[in-house]
Amino acid sequence: MQTRGPSIWERMLSIDRRILYLLLFANIVLFLLLPIRMRAAVSPPVQKFYDEIEKLQPGDLVMISSNWSASTLAENQPQLEAVIRHLMRKKAKFTLISVEAQSRDISYRLASRLTPEGGYEYGRDWAHFGFVTNLIVSIKGMVNNLPDTIKKDVRGTPVSELPLLKGITSLRQYKMIIDVTPSATVPFWISYAPKETKILYCPTSVMAAEAYTFLDSGQIKGMITGAKGAQEYEQLLGIVGLGTRFVNAISFSHVLIILFIFLGNLALFMNRRQMRQEG
Amino acid sequence: MDLQQFLPLSLDRINVWIGVLCTLAIYSLLYRENPLYRFFEHMYIGLAAGYSLGPLGVDILYRYWITPIWVQGQWAWAFLVPFGMYLYFIYSERYGWVSRLVIGALVGTSAGLFFQEFASRYVVQLHSTLSRPLWMSSANPEADLFGVITNWVFIIILVSVLVYFTFSYPQKGVVKNVATAGRWFLMIGLGAIFGNTVMARMALLIGRIYYLLSDWLMIRI
Repeated sequence: MQTRGPSIWERMLSIDRRILYLLLFANIVLFLLLPIRMRAAVSPPVQKFYDEIEKLQPGDLVMISSNWSASTLAENQPQLEAVIRHLMRKKAKFTLISVEAQSRDISYRLASRLTPEGGYEYGRDWAHFGFVTNLIVSIKGMVNNLPDTIKKDVRGTPVSELPLLKGITSLRQYKMIIDVTPSATVPFWISYAPKETKILYCPTSVMAAEAYTFLDSGQIKGMITGAKGAQEYEQLLGIVGLGTRFVNAISFSHVLIILFIFLGNLALFMNRRQMRQEG
Repeated sequence: MDLQQFLPLSLDRINVWIGVLCTLAIYSLLYRENPLYRFFEHMYIGLAAGYSLGPLGVDILYRYWITPIWVQGQWAWAFLVPFGMYLYFIYSERYGWVSRLVIGALVGTSAGLFFQEFASRYVVQLHSTLSRPLWMSSANPEADLFGVITNWVFIIILVSVLVYFTFSYPQKGVVKNVATAGRWFLMIGLGAIFGNTVMARMALLIGRIYYLLSDWLMIRI
């Protein structure tokens, strides 16, 4: 008796996952190389983020909490680059602080590379406070006495001697805090930072869904979600950064994944149906 | 492409080639489990842990402990690190109680801090929830139709999910229906989080492929 070969649905269900990886890889390469850039509809949290920075006056001081490392570079780097460029456009001064050891050097190098574009000078227009291990204690310390808590910047200069921080004794004198992070650090800023200081948030996409409660209650004033959010922000700024370069690949890799899910489910149901018909 | 610029003949290019080797070795797991992947996985973890010792030494121990003691003569700080190291007595059966001194200090501090955190984090959210306008009236001139509908959706989801997690009475009849709705709303929320997770993982993969194309193969994107 001749046995029936596997049906197309059975073949689809037993497809080697490495073929799917290869298709995904080819799809990403193709859409990265595609010279056309898609435009995005700017989401309300990104628009709010942009509007808040637009309200800054020249000379206003902003704290950037940069807590990402190499593992989330693709999401957090475009965010931080776009934010620094916008701050420089508004002539706002900023200081960076990291609760993640790797981020200390990554964010310092990134800011050192970008700031000459805006004519910014270290110590006068921006500074890096280095690495802190306990964010809660650091925030509370900076609220009470910033120079005594931070002591020295990443270059070993006492922060009280930096022209940028002349007359600055507390975090209360900052206009804004921007948290660029893949970790759950924003609740600490919300809880312990001065209430009059606005908080903006740049999470990775994974963290974004949980932050909508903070956005809804007004505890954070705006949010850039991952690389996709960075692309929307770059669009508002009229620049082409990493977010814009990634957007085609991000969008079409999702289309491909949705297609895989659809075909997988279709194969499953059709296979079940075929087996029922065959008894 | 200029072959001289592509090959690892300068320090910058050697860095890029090492990055490429690490990227390909880590992604080789997608093909199958292999010793090269294992080696680079352990190397990455070791490097990340070792790297953090540098900033920890320079920015924390030197700045907050060694400088006050040696430069400013505040010798009392010398007791701080030994006190922290009492935690390691937890491995001793005889002197394990010593570690409880440190644990007590840590738990006490955390509990104290949590009061402030709870008030700042959740009370504001409760206030925001309870002060939502649920109808349009002269008392709420800012409330528009879309906002009111959104607020009703919010309240319905909030109550349903709270009912789902209330186990003080049997979930029967209307309560069961509301709890079921709460479970569905939760599923939608978790689905949104998972969707974002997929997007994050894709972005990380795209970041590495961008590195291969742009930094290694020097293709202008």
